[in-house]
Amino acid sequence: MLSHLVERLARFMAILGGLVLTGLIALTCVSVLGRGLNTLGHSGFLTSLSESGAKALIATGVGPVQGDFELLEAGISFTIFAFLPICQLRRGHATVDVFSTGFPHWLNRFLETFWEVLLSALILLITWRLFVGMHDKMRYEETTFILQFPVWWAFAFSFGAALVASVVAVYCAVARTIELVTGRRLKSDAEGEVH
Amino acid sequence: MSLLELGYLSFPVLLVLIFLRAPIGLAMMICGLGGLWLATGTPNIFMSKLKSETYSTFSSYSLTIIPMFLLMGQFATHSGMSSSLFKAAESWLGHRKGGVAMAAVGACAGFGAICGSSLATAATMSRVALPELRRYGYSGGFSTATLAAGGTLGILIPPSVILVIYAILTEQNIAKLFLAAFVPGLLAAIGYMITISIYVRLYPAAAGTREPVPYAERMRAMLEVWPVLLVFGLVVGGIYLGWFTPTEGAAVGAAGTGVLALLSGNLTWKMFIDSMIQTAMSTAMIFFIILGAGFYNGFLALSQLPQELSGWVVGQGFSPWMVLTLVLLFYLAFGCLMDSLSMILLTIPIFFPVISALDFGMSPEHVAIWFGIIVLIVVEVGLITPPVGMNLFIINAMDRSTPMKETYKAVLWFVTSDIVRVIILVLFPSITLFLLGG
Amino acid sequence: GTASSTVAQEVTLRLHQFLPAQANVPKNVLDPWADKIEAESDGRIKIERYPAMQLGGKPPELINQVIDGAVDIVWTVAGYTPGRFPRAEVFELPFTMTDAESMSRAYWKLAEETMMDEDFKLFKPLGLWVHGPGVIHSSKPITTLDDLNGVKLRAPTRVTNKLFSNLGATPVGMPVPAIPEALSKGVIDASVIPWEVVGALKVNELVGNHTEFPGDALYTTSFIFAMNKDKYDALPDDLKAIIDANSGEDFSAFAGKQMQTDDAGPRAAAVERGNNIITQTPEQIAEWRTAAQGTIDEWIAEMDAKGIDGKALKDRAAELMAN
Ligand code: NA
Ligand code: NA
Repeated sequence: MLSHLVERLARFMAILGGLVLTGLIALTCVSVLGRGLNTLGHSGFLTSLSESGAKALIATGVGPVQGDFELLEAGISFTIFAFLPICQLRRGHATVDVFSTGFPHWLNRFLETFWEVLLSALILLITWRLFVGMHDKMRYEETTFILQFPVWWAFAFSFGAALVASVVAVYCAVARTIELVTGRRLKSDAEGEVH
Repeated sequence: MSLLELGYLSFPVLLVLIFLRAPIGLAMMICGLGGLWLATGTPNIFMSKLKSETYSTFSSYSLTIIPMFLLMGQFATHSGMSSSLFKAAESWLGHRKGGVAMAAVGACAGFGAICGSSLATAATMSRVALPELRRYGYSGGFSTATLAAGGTLGILIPPSVILVIYAILTEQNIAKLFLAAFVPGLLAAIGYMITISIYVRLYPAAAGTREPVPYAERMRAMLEVWPVLLVFGLVVGGIYLGWFTPTEGAAVGAAGTGVLALLSGNLTWKMFIDSMIQTAMSTAMIFFIILGAGFYNGFLALSQLPQELSGWVVGQGFSPWMVLTLVLLFYLAFGCLMDSLSMILLTIPIFFPVISALDFGMSPEHVAIWFGIIVLIVVEVGLITPPVGMNLFIINAMDRSTPMKETYKAVLWFVTSDIVRVIILVLFPSITLFLLGG
Repeated sequence: GTASSTVAQEVTLRLHQFLPAQANVPKNVLDPWADKIEAESDGRIKIERYPAMQLGGKPPELINQVIDGAVDIVWTVAGYTPGRFPRAEVFELPFTMTDAESMSRAYWKLAEETMMDEDFKLFKPLGLWVHGPGVIHSSKPITTLDDLNGVKLRAPTRVTNKLFSNLGATPVGMPVPAIPEALSKGVIDASVIPWEVVGALKVNELVGNHTEFPGDALYTTSFIFAMNKDKYDALPDDLKAIIDANSGEDFSAFAGKQMQTDDAGPRAAAVERGNNIITQTPEQIAEWRTAAQGTIDEWIAEMDAKGIDGKALKDRAAELMAN
């Protein structure tokens, strides 16, 4: 049951991150379009074609989205953190398996578990340090450049996603360890989910 | 132990960890942490950096390109563009000797123009072309090898995730690198087609033949591929002409491909979700390696190893061409064991200063671009060299009936074609650079 | 650690900053400073230099790196972390600067009066300076305020960002290294930077117009050159004395003056290319100054909201510069 719950959680985060990514893509396109129209309105080409048309275009206030870079940066960090759980749960991290095919079975199982635990520990460490980093940003009252929203807001969103990644990481480490000790399979390994 | 010695020692340690199946990003993190700790006596530097560096790596504006290009590739996969590309190529080439395989390569080149990743290109085109190849009597090993090699066109033809990372590591212009990759990418496709025609003449039993298609039908098939041309023109053309930054170009490409996929009716909600999950997996994998490489490279810089090494190489008075050859041989050897992204992140901070310090009779920018394209090719060869070749694995997973050994055997022909191309590009830098006006 | 106090101890200081080693500030300010310290300490202090963020992180992280002791010395831009050094922003207000040398001197003095226990309390400042007068570099000539209308422009600081959007331009945010590509492709139409930076970014080859405000500069940027507190405190007294003798007001003034001196080369190169240098007259500057007053008032109000007497800071800065 627990394994299904964790799988769903990881999936949910991946989809949420994907939706944020989609939103950022849309934002960027709107900004590019706005900037393009703004340039067109100021261009000699349109002005010579129709002075009033050019003026009207500019008068609509069309232009790039203010602070698009900042929004993109804040959003994409959340996205990447949200993508971490599914990658760990489905063992998406890049490894080199060329030599291990010659290892005895027990060694491979041990190594798998060992790295899984270490990876989970690293994700916990990252989450903790991210929290400390967020605290720094709060304390020093840093803001972004153009929109001037507090930088810690962006950290907080990322921290939220990192917390979920930590939960999934702990589950992976514990499940793997129990498997190693008992020899039973707990994690579904997302079988049947292979695309 | 001195910092420099620690720097040199970290490399074998890292390799041992990786060959003991440590996730590559994790292994780099461990070496970065361990190195900094041993060097300074405390973990403070690592801990301090970790407060903000994860966020700053994950929020990097220029790296945002990566999830966007990956999502674009996913949408392209679900848009039906892969099959119309293959149909168009097949209608023109299919009746020739080895023609269906050539068509697969051509379609891979077309798909590579809208997809930034080799694996996605190999997987997508295999889904379309593998059944067709088998239907026309192509042998299993030859079919899988063709698609594995064709898949590398996903990276060799711009846009390309690896080139983006190279550009960021070496502070080069992404648009210029994309432009420079174009002709070598086309040469790769042509080289593969020549390889196919040689192979089918040597092993006639490996390929069947097919009736020619009437010209009217060929033209109709060509008309079907306009979305690919549109997206490629918009993204790569737009980036080069300055309509937008590379990151914005990736966003426009992803949005455009998504809309086309929606219009094609192939992109259902389930496929949309599937695209998200696939993008999430690859993105997290890539960024985790980038994060680890950032920490490891920070340690290497502190150890002064890259400076010492490049100073030593220059001091020895080796010929620049010999150094370049050794570096490329190193990549070929390591490519048999490691994946391309990890190799780039791991080695460019070490090799790039070495190459930059040598005189090839070109401007520093041209050397950087030319070296980047050649390295791109040699690391991509790694995707199809046995035993560890990600493209080989992907396609093998899709065609369980073909033993890996047969794929290995047939793919060596394509590897040979790659090596010949590398030699040509090394001897004639202008093939890579002439589009840049140099 | 059994070294007795009589035995001279080797100290290695790691200096981390964001520009490549051959850029003006590393070459003409930081390297000479470091060389001098090494020489005067007879090599007991070694300063390892890590340019271009080699040790990792992005430029805004430099200040935390030195506070945490991840590195020992950093050179950074105060405005990389908007909101964190509110008092240092007073020197970035429009039309505050006359010349970089006297302003850098004033910056150090005002910092000693008001900032060492506030903005700068977590590290030890070694030098505080500003660069030469900011110049507008644009593809179309900008002669009057009206010419700014709709211009997509990369502004260097939080304050100039406000200034230019108040004046009708469209500020576009991007890191400095992205400027050349953005300019060459029309992603932005103009960039506001001092001449000194222009050479490295080849801006004078990408645009043909440069608007100068002689004697009463449009803006400048506050820099911070700082050392980790614990690392400094742990130095033996004679080495502390060497650091102290080479830091502070005079060094800051030297650094500011050097940056303004470095403006000359790229400016001459632009003139040689036949670029259009638009020199604003005092009357024209007065118009700009009037238009900029709103931004200054806004800044003072912001400071008030933070419990800082912005007006007093601004007046005191002007007073220090006049002396
Ligand atoms: Na591509
Ligand atoms: Na390989």
